[in-house]
Amino acid sequence: MTIQVDHVSKFFDGQPVLDNFCMELSDGNSYLLTGPSGSGKTTLLRILLGLTRPDSGRVRLLGDYKYSAVHAGVVFQEDRLCEPFSAVENVAMVSKKLSPRIAREALEKLLPADALDKPVRELSGGMRRRVAIVRALCVPSDVLLFDEPFTGLDRENRKKAIDLILAEKGSVPLLITGHSDEDLGFCHPIDIRTGVPLQMG
Amino acid sequence: MRQHLKKAGIILFWLLVWQLVSLLVHNSVMLVGPVETIKCLCRLVVTADFWLSIWYTFWRIGLGFLCASLLGILLAFAGAKKLILGEFLSPFFAALKSVPVASFVVLLLIWFGSKNLSFFTSLIVVLPILYGSTREGLANNDKKLLEMAQVFRIPFGAKLHYILLPGLSPFWKSAFSLALGMCWKAGVAAEVIGQPLQSIGNRLYQAKIYLETGDLLAWTVVIILLSFGVEKAFARLLRLLPGEEKKEPDSMKEKGDVA
Repeated sequence: MTIQVDHVSKFFDGQPVLDNFCMELSDGNSYLLTGPSGSGKTTLLRILLGLTRPDSGRVRLLGDYKYSAVHAGVVFQEDRLCEPFSAVENVAMVSKKLSPRIAREALEKLLPADALDKPVRELSGGMRRRVAIVRALCVPSDVLLFDEPFTGLDRENRKKAIDLILAEKGSVPLLITGHSDEDLGFCHPIDIRTGVPLQMG
Repeated sequence: MRQHLKKAGIILFWLLVWQLVSLLVHNSVMLVGPVETIKCLCRLVVTADFWLSIWYTFWRIGLGFLCASLLGILLAFAGAKKLILGEFLSPFFAALKSVPVASFVVLLLIWFGSKNLSFFTSLIVVLPILYGSTREGLANNDKKLLEMAQVFRIPFGAKLHYILLPGLSPFWKSAFSLALGMCWKAGVAAEVIGQPLQSIGNRLYQAKIYLETGDLLAWTVVIILLSFGVEKAFARLLRLLPGEEKKEPDSMKEKGDVA
């Protein structure tokens, strides 16, 4: 599928956070959305998810998409995990098709096995982040939106996470926001302040 | 262990005070001591009437409590889902909460007679407590987790298990503890007013008529024990909710680690 962001603007308290922003996400491609903090990256993701309405412009889901909001595998800026439950439960809960065994196998690629059955509130920040990444990859989805997914990860774990994302993402479009493009050379860079002009026709 | 000893010592102290005061008063109509109360209790326990009265009151108050809990929780979910319904229900339950129990009891007595008075009283006392606490618990749910559930299209069953129930359990714990205490007190008070035969309230009233202060205190002990037991049992039940820490295995493990 293709997601088209068409001249989207969003104001908070009269200040433009997004100003006539355009870009297009299409199958098989990965994108790295960069820009200083507070430049509207998270707002853009929320608009893509239908959680925030743009003040003008629109998001189009092209290619015969029959749902009103896109099915997305999301890593939120915060972890948004269910604290009293284990990593396995947190991943398995997102879909009926996901058995605890499959969730465990997926998690073991990024986390030590003894961390998987503790309540996630007992895990370190980096471990929790990795649980959120695995969960996003396991959600049945048509697009992957990862908001600062590597916060709190050291270089080695960041590399491992990127490898897993590449192996698991399939053909859906992937959008990562972040500050550093290290190991992310496969992504098309998009600057939040300029966007990418739409190719009409 | 030392904590338990200390607690037992304190209880013993107050029992002694009670006994001493009763000896000083030296009037079995005004006050009887713990020893006399236990004697009365022993005399009662062996009669069939004692157990029939307990049964009569217990299942009526209990059923009222269960029905009200279920109804209160369901209405709270419905009110949170359909906000207009909630706006209609909330003032009604707020009013229900502030009406004195005695006024209710007399009204219920006129409507339904005395036989099932404690059932209705328990129902009406518990309903607004559970409705209110469930609404509050739902309103306090983590908005970010609910948004996550919406984005991931998590089915309602899983949402209930992983997000809603863990959020509700602290609210329910205090609400159920309050409701259980209230429904026993209000239920028995209703029976004292309504006088259904073979009920605990009726036995309390008889004790008053015949100035049997020993019986009165014995029945009081019975009510306290019943309400305490039910409350403890219910607290255990609530620990089965998802997301509750299973305390026993954890503390066992720690002990094992030290050893």
